Amino acid sequence: MPRVTSNNSDDEAQLYCEKSEWQDITPIPQYDGINPIAPIFYTPEYKDATEYFRAIVKADEVSERVLQLTYDIISMNPAHYSAWQYRYRTLVALKHPLDVELELMDAFAIKFLKTYQVWHHRRLLLTALRSSAPSPLSIASKELAFIIRALSTDTKNYHTWSYRQWLLAFFDDEELWEGELPYVERLLETDVRNNSAWHHRYFVVWGRVRAEGEIDVGDVLKREIAYTKDQIALAPNNPSAWNYLRGILEHTKTPFNSLRTFVELYSTQTAPGEEDIVDLDNPKPGPGAQLPCAPALEFLADIHEEMGGEQTKKAIEIWKSLGNEYDTMRKKYWEFRVKEALSV
Amino acid sequence: MAAVEREWKPTPTDGVSTPTSLLQASTEDILKAKYLSVNLNAAAASPSSSSPPFEPPLNKNAHLQYLLRNLRQGFPAHYISQSASQPWLIFWTLQGFCVLGVGLDGQTKKQTVETLLAMQHPNGGFGGGPGQAAHLLPTYAAVCALAIAGQPGAGGGWDQIDRAKIYDFFMSLKQPDGSFLVAHDAEVDVRGIYCLLAVATLLNILTPELVAGTPEFIASCQTYEGGFGNASFPGWALRGSVIDPGIARPPLGEAHGGYTFCGTASWVFLQPYLATVYSLPSQVKPVINVKSLLRWCVQMQGISIELGGFKGRTNKLVDGCYSWWVGGCVGLVEGLMGSGSGSKVDEHADETKADQDGEWDDVDDSLSNRRALQEYVLYAGQHPAGGLIDKPPKSADAYHTLYCLSGLSAAQHRVLPSAQRRATLEAAWKDDPSSEHNALRKEAFLSALSWVEDEGTAKFVGGPSNRVNATHPLFNLTVTHSEGIMGYFYKQTIPSRYAKKAA
Ligand SMILES: [Zn+2]
Repeated sequence: MPRVTSNNSDDEAQLYCEKSEWQDITPIPQYDGINPIAPIFYTPEYKDATEYFRAIVKADEVSERVLQLTYDIISMNPAHYSAWQYRYRTLVALKHPLDVELELMDAFAIKFLKTYQVWHHRRLLLTALRSSAPSPLSIASKELAFIIRALSTDTKNYHTWSYRQWLLAFFDDEELWEGELPYVERLLETDVRNNSAWHHRYFVVWGRVRAEGEIDVGDVLKREIAYTKDQIALAPNNPSAWNYLRGILEHTKTPFNSLRTFVELYSTQTAPGEEDIVDLDNPKPGPGAQLPCAPALEFLADIHEEMGGEQTKKAIEIWKSLGNEYDTMRKKYWEFRVKEALSV
Repeated sequence: MAAVEREWKPTPTDGVSTPTSLLQASTEDILKAKYLSVNLNAAAASPSSSSPPFEPPLNKNAHLQYLLRNLRQGFPAHYISQSASQPWLIFWTLQGFCVLGVGLDGQTKKQTVETLLAMQHPNGGFGGGPGQAAHLLPTYAAVCALAIAGQPGAGGGWDQIDRAKIYDFFMSLKQPDGSFLVAHDAEVDVRGIYCLLAVATLLNILTPELVAGTPEFIASCQTYEGGFGNASFPGWALRGSVIDPGIARPPLGEAHGGYTFCGTASWVFLQPYLATVYSLPSQVKPVINVKSLLRWCVQMQGISIELGGFKGRTNKLVDGCYSWWVGGCVGLVEGLMGSGSGSKVDEHADETKADQDGEWDDVDDSLSNRRALQEYVLYAGQHPAGGLIDKPPKSADAYHTLYCLSGLSAAQHRVLPSAQRRATLEAAWKDDPSSEHNALRKEAFLSALSWVEDEGTAKFVGGPSNRVNATHPLFNLTVTHSEGIMGYFYKQTIPSRYAKKAA
């Protein structure tokens, strides 16, 4: 077992070139005989450790001490993919317990959340553990809990989300999937604008491949439309929710026109009055809603375009209003939409 | 000097604050304050009221000094985090010079070539530094840097690239779903595939075998939003080592600017393969949704108070580097939609000319707001001490310096596929008798090099003194450097782009 937990002993502070147990290795400098362009000014510790690493790689050494060396290097530079790669191969070759490695890397993953390699290393470990561990599902479920911890410090971390999606699909067990929608909903309750959570919702609901007949797509679609409408009602100017809505309609080949009544509530200047009948299918904009909102106008124009014929004119009117008033940054794009519609 | 009237309406929050909207609002405050302070400083420096509306200068000198310092003196210790990306540090710096229109002296070129060759792996490809494992990303950066600094002959760099071994390295990374690992034991990622395709195209090592299944993989990474995620999950569709095309491969990760650029550029790079290999009517050609891709790209452009910069994801913040990844991607999408010059009759040629020194006029068909994007880079992207940035008050780094400059370039110039240029290149094409893949490689060569600047459509916020060089939308090299290295490896003599015009 490599000793890696303490970081303030005298031994830790020692350079590799000062350690007696490394005397058999001749360090290899990075640039031999050339004067490199655009060099990095390394700290003595980094320079020292990587010189020993190059020597280890050259000698193809497989040993416990490689684990210590690679750990030190990735602590100084978690993006050193070669050190990760070498570490993983060494773990496998030494038949090192991979669940121990996984745990060792927990603090590391939180600290270096934004690094690819941190998450990829876990993915390699989980891949190996699925076929070797006595109860792989419990490891996967523990891992999902760990990812929640990691995401709680950065709710939009790209690699962490991508890894979570891979993990769910790779283990593909109902027991793992079933916690996902409640988790997404908790996140969206905190921040309805978290696009990573919306994407995750899409992955869980629509990306997951299921056996024929396992779910009723019509029911799921109904549930998802209702949920998304509620989120739009809460904060209408939220492109994440609108994109999700468009996405699920396109995925299920449902006409945009089926949401016309709802969309019209958001594409007019004033919210409907209190006296209106409560329509549960079409929740009204909240009191602070800033209307009309551009995503609703765009949606309504798409409905008109979809209907075609005379309605194309209405679509064109809306695109012009987007370009001239409600979404002027994208004027060129809205003009393009007009031109395209006219050329049909 | 009066500042231009500007719309300062914040992003609507509908009275509902969340972490996203709070961060957005504080960023908008910063950007607005930056805009106003730049204008105030300009007014103080030149208090004449009759001058035209102020547009900030590109501080070329300061940025050149920044690049020069990095190149000559090197990078401070916090760049240890980039020590597995050394070819990138070199590429970002050299291409920064190219965009700013500065050439390299012979000694610098020689030193650059030596440094890069020290990172070539004995088994093919380039690593992030000497003694590091080969990896697709540094391989792209090294080959592009060699396109800039190298030449044929002993010590020139080009003949020392082991192309056969790079090809073997690429093949060793190939996965059953048509994707590639970025390195052995590493992840699959759309960025890696972009890098592989760019290198294979530049070095003339494309084969049908190399990219079989890759278009389908790229298509599977497009998300419901229209942009691309970083990979897709093949497990459900895999039957042993064969993909069942009837089963979905859902994208992992949401639509993201970097992956969208790489996915779109990959898609463009794969067109020659699709055109030459998927010629039978029985073959189902993979497709991407170009319409939703375009929509996603333009939706990433921030509003007026965000100074028109681009975001990398829905509901995230604008950042200078997405000027290139997303701003530049709009140009790729325009190319895919066939809006290149020569694909239509230019009946307004005279108008274009007449408008040249007049006010900004939208004679071109570009689909993003090029003026606003230039403003973002000029107002928010420049560090006062030189170098370019994500947004104030961040410090400059090598990465943002290049991608802000390249994004500015993409907003100034329109570089699009030209049917005319393609015909000229085709007329001059000579088959290589030693190559087995002439049809594919000819098509790759013609497609890549038919992207040329659409004459007369360049626009410079801040005037012509802010002009930077055009850069190839696929490689992020100048067209000259792209032609140089491709001409060499495809053994073609490339007709000049500046050949006599009809009187
Ligand atoms: Zn950035």
